[in-house]
Amino acid sequence: MNVLNMKRGKACRKPFDMGMPAKATDLVRLAIKAGDPYCAAAVHNIATGRDKRRLEALMFDKRRNTLLLARWEHTPASVLEAIANSSAGNGDSGVVIRLDKNPNATAKALSQLYVGQADVRQLNSDFTVLIAQHLHSPVSVLASIVQLSEDEQSLKAVSRNPAASAEVLSVMLERMANSKIIGVLYKNLAENPSTSTELLDFIYAKGDEYVRAAVIGHARCSQAVIDESVSDKDVKIMRKLAVNARVSSETLVNLAASHDVAVRCGVASNVASPEVLVMRLLLDDSCLVRRAIAARLDLTAASINALANDKDSWVRQWLARNPRIPRKVLERLSVDFEVDVRRAVARNTCCPVGLLKALAKDQSAWVRSAVAYQHKSPKVVMEALATDNNIDVLSGVANNPHTPQMILQDLAASPELDIRRGVILNKYATRKTLLPLLEDPYYLHRLMLVGSVRLKGKDKWSLRDDPDFQVRFMVFRWMASRLCESAVR
Amino acid sequence: MSTILVIAEHRRNELRPVSLELIAAAYGLKKSVDDKVLVAVIGSQAESFVPALSVAGVDEVIVVQTPIADFDPDIFESAVSALITAKNPAVVLLPHSVDALGYAATLASKAGYGYATDVFIAEYQGDELVATRGGYNQKVNVEVDFPGKSTVVLTLRTSVFKVLEGAANPSVSSFDLPVVQSRSQNKEFIEPGGANDVDITAVDFIVSIGRGIGEETNVEQFRELAETAGATLCCSRPIADAGWLPKSRQVGQSGKVVGSCKLYVALGISGSIQHMAGMKHVPTIIAVNTDPGASIFTIAKYGIVADIFEMEEELKNQLAA
Ligand SMILES: Cc1cc2nc3c(=O)[nH]c(=O)nc-3n(C[C@H](O)[C@H](O)[C@H](O)COP(=O)(O)OP(=O)(O)OC[C@H]3O[C@@H](n4cnc5c(N)ncnc54)[C@H](O)[C@@H]3O)c2cc1C
Repeated sequence: MNVLNMKRGKACRKPFDMGMPAKATDLVRLAIKAGDPYCAAAVHNIATGRDKRRLEALMFDKRRNTLLLARWEHTPASVLEAIANSSAGNGDSGVVIRLDKNPNATAKALSQLYVGQADVRQLNSDFTVLIAQHLHSPVSVLASIVQLSEDEQSLKAVSRNPAASAEVLSVMLERMANSKIIGVLYKNLAENPSTSTELLDFIYAKGDEYVRAAVIGHARCSQAVIDESVSDKDVKIMRKLAVNARVSSETLVNLAASHDVAVRCGVASNVASPEVLVMRLLLDDSCLVRRAIAARLDLTAASINALANDKDSWVRQWLARNPRIPRKVLERLSVDFEVDVRRAVARNTCCPVGLLKALAKDQSAWVRSAVAYQHKSPKVVMEALATDNNIDVLSGVANNPHTPQMILQDLAASPELDIRRGVILNKYATRKTLLPLLEDPYYLHRLMLVGSVRLKGKDKWSLRDDPDFQVRFMVFRWMASRLCESAVR
Repeated sequence: MSTILVIAEHRRNELRPVSLELIAAAYGLKKSVDDKVLVAVIGSQAESFVPALSVAGVDEVIVVQTPIADFDPDIFESAVSALITAKNPAVVLLPHSVDALGYAATLASKAGYGYATDVFIAEYQGDELVATRGGYNQKVNVEVDFPGKSTVVLTLRTSVFKVLEGAANPSVSSFDLPVVQSRSQNKEFIEPGGANDVDITAVDFIVSIGRGIGEETNVEQFRELAETAGATLCCSRPIADAGWLPKSRQVGQSGKVVGSCKLYVALGISGSIQHMAGMKHVPTIIAVNTDPGASIFTIAKYGIVADIFEMEEELKNQLAA
């Protein structure tokens, strides 16, 4: 079956005359004429004056549409701000909650919601928590939550939020010093990337072993704290020290003698561990330690040889993935009896073409698929794999930059949608190859084609009255940005 | 006294676990001790399933011998139709499976039986049988009743009805298959899944990774974690699209619905509607995501706001200890 004989379905409405617009105002008028809230949302940020109000009427006249747009992952920031402006005043809590949960809501939209509420102390706690945890919440809003809110959940949310500044976090710590949630706040602050070194020093002195371990794992932890913690015998702290590159060789040697496997794994993977120590850990009883070594990028020839013969297949897998492995060792691993080891060789970014050719004939489809996805695989390999009947292999062929266009054109007509999607994802698929896919029955594929750099404007514009609202939105949005760019030029 | 008829399902000489779920549902529909649960098994080796079907809740197992081993919609339709005529059941329970969908609708429509598919609650409210199923893409629950229907055919969602424990000693009878002309021909059985991979719709513990894993090289450590924990590694679409895991491991709208999963650990998955379509029914979902606002937390039983790599490291440590 040639899937492209199946059409994408009926256009959403009777197509009205929609030639390619030449100016932003023309596009906005077309969106208004289309009467479609999604097309309206797509062009909202380029509209002005009366046109903008007409678009907003189109989007927000029905509460249902407002709710949908407030939640939708693709709703542009300007539309979310417009919703925030209108509904904060209207106090529609359904809209507000959706808006607040939308990760695309901008700081402006969120502060709009926040200032729309009379007093932070009166706010519904669920709502404050959502604001307190939102990554786009402005520092000023978080600061006022920290200063005024009595709600524990909201304060905890701020303490986790990386958008909070070091000052905000420090004010919170001061204000909550005697509260019963101070233990949780210490823990959250110890993990928050915005916490300052001074605050971490303070928390380290106050916190329990979990907090201390988190402080040691923090990128801003002071050297003084690291040095002080070296004598700590708590395993959680030792585990954090073992992976820390700022720890001295001497400490690492001590840690390597730990009974705890995780501590030894940490030392085995630590770039600061001296070579002799790594060599010693090669003989460790635990395969987990040897696996950690196999993933290191600075292996010596002696370690590589030892690991290539390891009885644990995961050790060999990690090694086979390692881009620093010499060809001879890769050759040996490419005939390993474990499928995943052979696959790892095929996925190794430095796998030589000769080996890829051999692995393309592997009996396991999962290995052949790795070759098919490998960007180093040459055209001849792609031609051979194109005759495979496994979906993962063919999806890889469809994705690969070295696959000839003739083959891609065949794959574009495959009944398997994953394979067709592979062609769409292929940056080297030409316009001729992609054109038939504009009629693909799967809307996601048409959606993706709107973003293609290979297709011409008129090709994408042909999807303007697509039966799927997301495709229509993408076409209008793409056209809006294109017109804006050309206006700037 | 009324009768509830269960049609057992088997494939490639193995009884499908859903058959036992249907028996549990049938048992739950008994209004009095006099009501009977009959289980019919149709196939060329039907007899061989009798021991496995002799479980708590079953009053009689009916063996319907057929000439061909594989499922055939015409044969099943006529066998079940004849069984209904002979046994006059109030309710006929079939799995909501591709096999049953091949004949259940025609069966019900030809004889004018009540009919509902993908039912996840079947109960009597007073004397009225009420079946609950999803509507509007599972956004609402729809209760269906069947006024004036003396026989109702229901296809039941899998992994919903809890299997009863214990064996039983039901009576066993045989039933002659009416003469029927099959219009289909079985050519070949193709195991779904590709790449000789596991069938993720049948496993009960899944660790699933999403774009949060960042790079392909990171897949290995989660595969290792899943293997150590005894779970099957699955993924969201971007991971399968990139070829980092086989397509057969993709969960969601354009992937698979993990029907038998009991525990789903979502690592670095945001929880798009399309992904959740494949797993939101799982009774225990654990989600790990750095973003406290991630949609996956809205359906998770346990939500952990944390870095999946730290989580993986900690779990590995715990499992190694
Ligand atoms: C028609 C259609 C069908 C689709 N079918 C499917 C389908 O079947 N299955 C499917 O999965 N998708 C499907 N999709 C795609 C879907 O819409 C989403 O794009 C996809 O599910 C997103 O995958 P994700 O959650 O892995 O990635 P993202 O949405 O990018 O999420 C990654 C998450 O990881 C978190 N994260 C990042 N780093 C870390 C870290 N270090 N620790 C913890 N968390 C971290 C982020 O906070 C984020 O929440 C479909 C889409 C369409 C349009």
